[in-house]
Amino acid sequence: MFVSKSMARKVITVTPEDGILTAREKMKTHQIRHLPVVDPEDRLVGIVTDRDIRSAMPSIVLEDYDSRKEREKLAKIRVHEIMTRNPVTVLPTHTLQDVLMLIQSTRVGALPVVDEDGRIKGIIGVRDLIRAFINVLGIGEPGTLLCILVEDKIGTMKRIVDAVTEEQISIGSILVARSWEEGKRAVFPYLLTQNVSRVKQKFTDLGFTLLDPLEWYLDQLPPDGR
Amino acid sequence: MKRTGYLYDSNFLLHETSSWHPEVPERLKAIHQGIQKDGLLERLVPIKASRADMRWIETVHEKAYIDRFNDACVSGVRVFDSPDNQMCDMTFETALLAAGGVLNAAEMIMKEAIDNAFCAVRPPGHHAERAAAMGFCYFNNVAIAARYLQIEWKIQRVAIIDFDVHHGNGTQHIFEEDATVFYYSIHEHPSFAYPGTGRDFEEGTGKGKGFTKNSPVLPGQGDEAYRAFLQRDLVPAIEAFVPEIIVVSAGFDAHEEDDMSGIRLSTEGFSWIMEQIVSLAETYTRGRLLSVLEGGYALHRLGELARNHVTILLEGGADVR
Repeated sequence: MFVSKSMARKVITVTPEDGILTAREKMKTHQIRHLPVVDPEDRLVGIVTDRDIRSAMPSIVLEDYDSRKEREKLAKIRVHEIMTRNPVTVLPTHTLQDVLMLIQSTRVGALPVVDEDGRIKGIIGVRDLIRAFINVLGIGEPGTLLCILVEDKIGTMKRIVDAVTEEQISIGSILVARSWEEGKRAVFPYLLTQNVSRVKQKFTDLGFTLLDPLEWYLDQLPPDGR
Repeated sequence: MKRTGYLYDSNFLLHETSSWHPEVPERLKAIHQGIQKDGLLERLVPIKASRADMRWIETVHEKAYIDRFNDACVSGVRVFDSPDNQMCDMTFETALLAAGGVLNAAEMIMKEAIDNAFCAVRPPGHHAERAAAMGFCYFNNVAIAARYLQIEWKIQRVAIIDFDVHHGNGTQHIFEEDATVFYYSIHEHPSFAYPGTGRDFEEGTGKGKGFTKNSPVLPGQGDEAYRAFLQRDLVPAIEAFVPEIIVVSAGFDAHEEDDMSGIRLSTEGFSWIMEQIVSLAETYTRGRLLSVLEGGYALHRLGELARNHVTILLEGGADVR
């Protein structure tokens, strides 16, 4: 779960003295939206995003009559003029959970990863988190998802896992979703089989409620809508 | 009235899983009983099963996979590649016989000995990947038939229509880069059902982009959703593709009384689907249609579903229930 395992190690960077057109080209070529800005010792001094560059561009279309003049003006703008200094960073020893919480609170799309001396080690972004979660959801492997509404109390999960084990079914993942209903949890066992009729019957016999798939919720907006 | 072929062989019962496994020989017995009723069997042209020539299997499956499957089978392995794939000593032979029978049916259609055919085979095929067994399937019968038709009979464009309630991942992957085989599947939405593929944005890759089409159906839905999807997704796609033959992966597990899925198709719903497919074959393939059994586990319903299926092949879409 450490950042060092999930981050991109080959980091595309720019220097503070690079022009913003160079930065824009690098983003296009590598299909990325964040470029860490580093000094000659690879120490992070800032970050520049596609949005920073777009804001620096004049609103007129570049193909206009004085495009050459505009282009020359743009070519003179240096990265350090538009970059964000002291960006939010993480260490390789931070965890994916740290990054999730940070991305949610800071609303940035990617975080540079630096060592204790501030040297760039990698970058981790929303796409890396998505990959990690596709992995833990297990949805890259064939299987069947069920959803059980249970009382939130100790021992429930054991009974679920026991029932699955008795059917000799492998488990791809088990997710637990917070319910807005007091004292309830929605448990999602992802079972690596096509063959779920018997285990479903077993859950029902054990007194569990199998939720109608159309009422499943991995996530819901909190009541205040934020 | 069409000349409809029917493939059934009691040797297909020799592949055994286990007492609690849904893919059991009783499925075929139920289907065969349904077809024997009311003199239907006498109106059909029997098709013989025979071991498939290995070179046809190898047009779809890697040699190493075929060998691995055979070795596992003869050395007494009882679970192969995935826990869903239970087998016995006879599984490899049965799979070979099923694929061979389907090829015989394809040959009879091409020689115009019959117009169309229903192949009641086990084990099923549409989950089987190029090099892996999956979801009760070992050899991908419809994929092998499609390649045979292309190579042996110079068919340019094969359309495969798969209405098993589970997505035919194997068939899709085998042909996803191929513009000469159009694959259409309608199935329970992959976020709720096995095998987790067949999302509506999966449309083929490379040269095959646009030659795969998926209609995922939400759990709880049935006849109405299938009508809408077939009219919206399948009919125009077949119209654009202009196939020379239609191959059907016929799974009956979307039935409302089949507990393998949350889809609620009625018996009449299945008939309606088959009428559409038969009428597409009338329009585009001069009636040439090869239907191959995949899933379907509600033993008390399989007889009537298969009987209706075959009756529609015989009599066309018109006034069948």
